[in-house]
Amino acid sequence: MAALVTNAFGHGLGSFWDAVVAPESLAALRLTLLCAAVGAAVNAVAGLATAWVLVRDRFIGQGILNALIDLPFALPTVVAGVTLYTLYGPLSPLHVNITGTWIGITIAIMFVTLPFTVRSVQPVLESMTFNAEAAAATLGASAPRIFRTITLPTLAPALLTGTGLAFARAIGEYGSVVFISNNLPYRSEVASSYIFSLTTSGQTSAAASVSVALLVIAFALLLLFGALSRRLSRGQR
Amino acid sequence: MKRSPLALRVLVLVYVGVLVGLPLGFVFQQALAHGMRALAAALADAQMDHALWLTVKVALVAVPLNVVFGVGASLWIVRHPSHFTRVLDALIDVPLAISPVIVGLVLMLAYAQNGWFGHVLALWGWHVMFSYPGIVLASVFVSLPLVSRQVIPLLREIGDHAEQTAATLGAGPVRIFFTITMRSITWASAYGVSLTLARVIGEYGAVLIVSGNIAFVTQTLTLDIGANFENFNTYQGFIGASLLALASIVVLAMLSAARHRERKRHEHLA
Repeated sequence: MAALVTNAFGHGLGSFWDAVVAPESLAALRLTLLCAAVGAAVNAVAGLATAWVLVRDRFIGQGILNALIDLPFALPTVVAGVTLYTLYGPLSPLHVNITGTWIGITIAIMFVTLPFTVRSVQPVLESMTFNAEAAAATLGASAPRIFRTITLPTLAPALLTGTGLAFARAIGEYGSVVFISNNLPYRSEVASSYIFSLTTSGQTSAAASVSVALLVIAFALLLLFGALSRRLSRGQR
Repeated sequence: MKRSPLALRVLVLVYVGVLVGLPLGFVFQQALAHGMRALAAALADAQMDHALWLTVKVALVAVPLNVVFGVGASLWIVRHPSHFTRVLDALIDVPLAISPVIVGLVLMLAYAQNGWFGHVLALWGWHVMFSYPGIVLASVFVSLPLVSRQVIPLLREIGDHAEQTAATLGAGPVRIFFTITMRSITWASAYGVSLTLARVIGEYGAVLIVSGNIAFVTQTLTLDIGANFENFNTYQGFIGASLLALASIVVLAMLSAARHRERKRHEHLA
């Protein structure tokens, strides 16, 4: 890691900054953040709903659903990447082509980050007792009100932690995104793919600079979500 | 128990089905699309078989290395806390938050011929980049925290009463580890090992940079799949992809078994 930082700043602060604010780099960073944010936000809602259904519902096939949630952790990213490319690409059997668009990249990110929110919310939901919710119901609170005032605040810290992890993971995602994105500079090139092309074309100090910027963003997001989560869980006590 | 609205259940099933189930089914459908004879020929593809064998050889070394490191580091961090272990505890999760491409770049900067350690190792005749050791190193790096993340919280939770009792009764550290500590952490470790296995088999970005992706030499199965797609060899790519998808289903079964056993152990204690 020290080698990375040394290489990033090896030619001075100026060349580090130039590499980070180069138009192609900025475009890649902006696209990465946009897709990661949308993907993590969608999965915050979908993950909460999925955890809810897994814990509070009973139906046939629930075990399979529960196992499928972990698939993105177990399935190699390149397999996800080539499959999504074929399924939603130029030769799509469904006749949709979203390669080279931010929607395609976001779908790949939604795939790989699905387990994060589900797996962080699920244990909290399992250990929640019904007492407070039942009390609210006998006092005449409606189901949406119970959810908003009791259930959601209890789950919020775990939900934030999971979303933060998903966001950080999405920012560095490569294997699943690289095929469906087509890697068109300025249009559909994500940051990790830009770093890859800099690395393989011998521009290692520029690659190191953009890497440091990407790492700083990822760690800042993790710290931010961690702090928010701790603050919310303190507020409850 | 109160049920959730039917609409919510259907919505979740459709979301997970389309997002995860559909691609998984599609991999196998594509692999079987040209009949059994084509499938047999594609499975015998020399380049893919070489890549598959390399992936197996990498996993055979990288996974045990990470189990030993993961369990050892967890015991050290929890049972012998010091300033150093607190730093280790904070740093140990770092590989999970780093893009695999950056991991590849970092290893290249350190171990290439003109890198930090690379020129020293080259004097000894060791080459890490574009060779088997480099692939193992990248695989170990990306999966480093997966075992200890499972084991550390469990070690903290169970405490060291039983271990101390055994020590006062005269048991040595090795005997204490195998008769007491090991029994409590078996299933949590198994969960971490399954995740490690999946990550090692499936690593793409870091290995792509470190290995140089040379067919028949340093091309792992994931790299072979990527190369087949880039060369419009889609069918062959899906054969490799379906092998890895099968492996990931095995991993899912392992994860689910480990979770089940760990939960039973927990209930047994409570």
